[in-house]
Amino acid sequence: MFRLPIDVEGFPLGKGPMVMLVLFLISTLFIFGRSEEQGEDLEFWIFANTHYEEYQPRVPIFEAQHPGVNVRLINFGGTMHDKLLAAMLSNFGAPDLVEVEITSIGRFLKGAIDEVGFVDLRPRLESEGWMDKLVVSRFTPWSYRGRIYGIPHDLHPVVLLYRDDLFKAAGVEMTAVETWDDFIAAGKKATRDLDGDGEVDQYAIVLDRRTESDYFSLLLQQGGGFFDEDGNVIIDSELAIETLEFFTALFNEHKIATPVYGTWHGDPSNFAAMQDGKILSILSPDWYVGILKSQVPQMSGKWKAIGMPAWYPGGRRTTTRGGTMVGITKQCENLDRAWELLKFTYFDRPGLINRYETTRIIPPLKSAWDAPVFREPDVYLGGQPLGELFIQLAPDLPPRYQNPYWSEAADLLNDAIFAAVTEKQTPRAALTDLAKKVRALMAKDMDRWGEM
Amino acid sequence: MEGDSTETNVKNPTNFTEPQGIIKNLFWNRQQKIAPYLFIAPFYLLFVVFMGYPLISSLVMSLYEMRGFQSRIFVGFGNFTDLFRDPIFWKSLRNTAYFAVGTLTLQLPIALLLAILLNSKYVKGKNFLRLAFFAPVLVAGVFVAIIFNLVYDQRAGLVNQEFVLFGKEIGWLNEENYVMPAVILTGVWQWAGFNMIYFLAGLQGIRQELYEAAAVDGANWWQAFVHITLPSLRPVIAFVVVVSMIGSLQLFDLPFILTNGGEPADAGSTIVMYLYKNGFQFMRLGYAATIGWVLFFIIAVISIVQLKLLGIFRDE
Repeated sequence: MFRLPIDVEGFPLGKGPMVMLVLFLISTLFIFGRSEEQGEDLEFWIFANTHYEEYQPRVPIFEAQHPGVNVRLINFGGTMHDKLLAAMLSNFGAPDLVEVEITSIGRFLKGAIDEVGFVDLRPRLESEGWMDKLVVSRFTPWSYRGRIYGIPHDLHPVVLLYRDDLFKAAGVEMTAVETWDDFIAAGKKATRDLDGDGEVDQYAIVLDRRTESDYFSLLLQQGGGFFDEDGNVIIDSELAIETLEFFTALFNEHKIATPVYGTWHGDPSNFAAMQDGKILSILSPDWYVGILKSQVPQMSGKWKAIGMPAWYPGGRRTTTRGGTMVGITKQCENLDRAWELLKFTYFDRPGLINRYETTRIIPPLKSAWDAPVFREPDVYLGGQPLGELFIQLAPDLPPRYQNPYWSEAADLLNDAIFAAVTEKQTPRAALTDLAKKVRALMAKDMDRWGEM
Repeated sequence: MEGDSTETNVKNPTNFTEPQGIIKNLFWNRQQKIAPYLFIAPFYLLFVVFMGYPLISSLVMSLYEMRGFQSRIFVGFGNFTDLFRDPIFWKSLRNTAYFAVGTLTLQLPIALLLAILLNSKYVKGKNFLRLAFFAPVLVAGVFVAIIFNLVYDQRAGLVNQEFVLFGKEIGWLNEENYVMPAVILTGVWQWAGFNMIYFLAGLQGIRQELYEAAAVDGANWWQAFVHITLPSLRPVIAFVVVVSMIGSLQLFDLPFILTNGGEPADAGSTIVMYLYKNGFQFMRLGYAATIGWVLFFIIAVISIVQLKLLGIFRDE
C-alpha cells in the first residue's frame, strides 16, 4: 500500500487540515515561485476588459521591437482608480503608464499644478507634431491649466440609434429628422398605446434621469458644460437651464421619453425593454454600440443610426460621452520608453483598426480614418456603414472641459436632474441651487488655500 | 519540565558559555523579565503598525484637509462643523439608521422564527433547510446586488411581476421612498439565514428539562417561549443584535451597487458610501476621516447602550 512519508495521524488536527495545509503551501509556491524576468519593466495599468483583450496580444510585438523590455499589462478593473490614488498619495507603487476614465481624472488634478501626479505631455506632443494629427477638442478632458496629462483613447461621438421598423410602422421616416423639434413631432407619433389599455407601450426615446449622462450630453452638444475653460461654474447659465427645461419636457410635457429601465443604459432590464419594442431610440456613443452588439446580438439588423437631432437647422449633430486617456506618471523612471509604448498603443494604425473591429470605438488619430474598415457595412445596423457616420461627425465634437471638482459637481448634478424631472424643483431652481453649492465648495477651498 | 530547567540554568549560569560585555550580561541577567515581552511583541508590533498608527493617523487627518497629493492645511474642528451642516451627510445618516432599524425589526425576528422552526422536531429535512437558508451568506455582496437589481426591476423584475403588492408597479430602485426598503429586504434575504445559525446554536443549548418542567406546570407554548426561550437566548440575542447593528451602520457594498452609487437623489446613500465618495472620488481625505470618526462614535455609543439594555454588563 502507498504510504505517505510522514505520519499523517500524528498531525495535530488530523488528516483534513493537513491536506488543506499541503494544498495551501503548494498553491503558494505556484503563485509566488515564478522567477522574475530579466530586463527593464514597464508597468501599464488599465481598468477595462475590452482594452485588456485589445492590448494583451500586442504586448509581444512591442517587446520584440524593444529587446530587453518587459511590459506588465495589469487590468485592475473598477478598483484601479482607487489603487492609483493610493499609489500617488504615498508617492510609491504607481505604474509607468496608466489609463484613466473621464469622470475619474478630475480628482487627480486637485492641488498645486506641480503636485499633479502625471507628466505634462504637451512638449512631446508638440515637438513630434501629434497635436494636428488628433482631434484637438478631444484634449480638453485631459488638460488643465495649460498642461496635457493624457492622450485620448477615443472620441466617443454620439449618434441617435433608432428602431427603423417601429418608427416606420408609426408612419415616421427618421432620416428626415434634423432638429429636436422634428424629433418631438416624430416622437409624438411613435409614442403609442398599442393595445388600447390606456398605458403607453412604446416610447420614442429612453433617457437617464438618475445621472447626468443624457442631460450633460445635450448640454455639451450646444457647447455648454458644467465648467468653462477657465474653471468657472456655468451650470446656471441660461443655456444650461433651457437644456434642462427641454430635457424635463421630453418626460413631462411631450411625454415621449421613458426613464432608463434599471440603473443605467447598459442594464439588462434596459436591453430587455429594447427587445420588447418599448424603446424606439437612444442616444448612443460609439462604445455603446459595441456593448449592444455583445450583450444583445439577437437585435442585429433592427437598429439604424442618424446624427443627433440638432438644436437649430444646420447645428451640430453630435456630442460626446465617456472616454479614457493614457498618461505617464511622475513615478515612471524611463519616460522615453513609456512614451514609445504609449505611441504603440494609441497611434498604431493596425491597432486602431483592430480596436474598431472589436469595440466600435473610433480613434482620435485622423490619419487612421481612411482605413476601409470604417466604410464597411455594419450588419448590426442592417448594413449601414456606422463608422462612416461617426467619422463624419467626429471633427465637430464639442469640447468637454475638465475640472478638479468634476466628481463633486457630477454627484450634485445627478440630484438636480432627478429633482427637475420628478418636478420637485423647477429646472432653474435646481441648477441655481446646484451652482451655488459647487461655488461655495470652491470658495471654501480658495479661502483655505488661496489661488490654486 | 521546561520551566524547571530554566530555573536551574539561571541559578547555575556556569552551564552556559559566559556572554561577553556589559550589555550582554545585562540582557542575560534580565532575560527572564524580558522574555515574556518578546513573546508578546509580535502582536503589539502588528497592532501598532496596522491598527494603532492608522487610527492615530486618521484622527490627526480629521483635523486637516488635503489639497492634491502633497499639501495639507490644519483646519481644527472645521471638518466636524462642516459635516454637521452637510445635508448629504444627514441624509446618509438617516438612510443608514433606516437600514439598521429595518434589520432589528424585520431581519432578526425572521432569523429567530426560522431558527425556532428549524429547531422543532416536526420539521423534516432540517439539514437541507439550514444549508438553504444559510447559503445566501456565501454569495459575495456585489453579486447579490447585481441579482437583486434584476429582481427589483420596475417592469420585468421578479418582485413586480410576481407580487403586485400594491396594485401598481413600484419603482423599487427608481423612486426615492422605495430604495431603502429594497435594500433592507435584500439584507433580510442575505443575512437572516446567517443570524438564524446563531439563534439555532443558542436554542440547542437550552436545557430540555426546563420545557418539561414548564409543561408539567401547565405552561403553554407562548409562556414557555417568553419565560424560558427568550431569557435563555439573551446572550445570543445581545451578540446578534450588537453585531448586526455594527454591520448595518457599516453598510456599503449592497446599496453602492444596487443603486449605482446612491442614486436617485442620494436615496441609497449610506455613511460609509459618503465616506468612500469623499475620500476616493472627491479627494477630501480629511473630511472622509472625520466621517469615519463620527461613525466610530455612533457605533460605540449605540453598542454600549445596547449591551447595557440587554444586561450584558450585569453581574450574575
